[in-house]
Amino acid sequence: MARMGLLVSPELCIGCRACQVACKSWNQLPGEKTKNRGGYENPGDLTPSLYNRIRFVEAPSDKEPLRWLFVNQRCMHCEEAGCMQICPSPGALYRTPEGAVASNKDKCIGCKLCLAACPFNVPRYDDKGKCSKCNLCVDRIANKMAPACAKTCPTGAISYGDRTEMIAKAQKAGYQKVYGQADLGGLGALYAFKDGPKLYGYDEKPQISEMLVFWHKVLKPLSYIGIGGVAAAAVVHYVAVGPHKVKEDDDHE
Amino acid sequence: MNKNDMITMATGFERLCHWSLAISCILLIISGFGFLFKIEAIGAAFGGFNSMKTIHNWLGVVFIAALFLSAAHWLKHALRFDGDDVRWLSVGGGYLSHKVKVPPMGKLNTGQKFAYLMVLTAGIAISVTGFVMWLIPENKQWVLLSFFIHNVSFIMIGIFIPLHLYLGTIANPGTLQIMIGGKVPYWMAKKKHPKWIAELESGKGGHSA
Repeated sequence: MARMGLLVSPELCIGCRACQVACKSWNQLPGEKTKNRGGYENPGDLTPSLYNRIRFVEAPSDKEPLRWLFVNQRCMHCEEAGCMQICPSPGALYRTPEGAVASNKDKCIGCKLCLAACPFNVPRYDDKGKCSKCNLCVDRIANKMAPACAKTCPTGAISYGDRTEMIAKAQKAGYQKVYGQADLGGLGALYAFKDGPKLYGYDEKPQISEMLVFWHKVLKPLSYIGIGGVAAAAVVHYVAVGPHKVKEDDDHE
Repeated sequence: MNKNDMITMATGFERLCHWSLAISCILLIISGFGFLFKIEAIGAAFGGFNSMKTIHNWLGVVFIAALFLSAAHWLKHALRFDGDDVRWLSVGGGYLSHKVKVPPMGKLNTGQKFAYLMVLTAGIAISVTGFVMWLIPENKQWVLLSFFIHNVSFIMIGIFIPLHLYLGTIANPGTLQIMIGGKVPYWMAKKKHPKWIAELESGKGGHSA
């Protein structure tokens, strides 16, 4: 099936945070007590029971007294997902047919390696020590429904559909560069940024740790050859050279 | 000493350390392989990936303890190099042909010394990095570095173990006895470890027991 995706357009977002509420409602996540930090942004970060949130960015501007940007922060559902590459438990993080990176808490072993591998600082751990993050409403999208956040968004700042169409939609709206179009093999969450990604709190060029990529693409396949090669060498040696029997009588050669 | 008398090459404590190392290391390699390559069958054999994680972590504690206790009696033999080691390397240790004359060796031959030092280094590295991932999983930079070093050490140990198993058993009949009964006939020890025997007999003591 065609890869599905989200298109996030901060220019359309009014910061109502209906997405935060709809997500909690659909995924049955409890409300949390938060702190007044002197702004409208609340909560201040993703938590084990907050899979997406609106980041409020006050940006300096020449033309206007203030530019206020609202950005939906969430799991990006990367094609080359660092979390999936480092995760040691099969099925704990898995790819849905729609292309989402979903998590299965029953299979999560709580090692927290995905924390280190995620370039977007998304995974959180719940009080049972299990990975907890946006799974693109895996149960909704499997039934051809939009994720709760996209469904509820009143302005179309979050839309869901065929990923190629989402890119076309952004381009039609005048965004030549869509954030996430090619990064990390293509992100499942695309962003129509009017300015550089840095302003919105995203890396210009998001990357998985080189060490992780090197392990995954080079050393891991080589290790098969290395370990298998040594075992094969032992067999060849046994046949070609044979065991070294120490004889008593060749003591004084 | 009569040539057929038995001489102790490994004390009971040394053998206990070795078997603790051997068993923990092999189980760690198997479970680690299961994690790295996400093999369901290995997870199932350990009662699921959750319990495999617990077993893997605590076997790591057994491994590092046994590694340090072993180093206490083996490291001194592995750190002694002389001209014979150069000559040993030049004839490939006699591993490629039984016809070459191998220079006299101490308790460990050159290859064993290098292999031991390599495994000791990899063993310390794999333990330290294992503890980092286990105890401070939220420190991203340290965890990523540790994950990498842990895996590289895994490959080094993974290459050493099949070699060690082969050379210590069927490739060199009589060797396995050292790790079972701890003793070999005097004539065999004298032939394979002449410098160690010479030291022993001159009273300098090459053995901890």
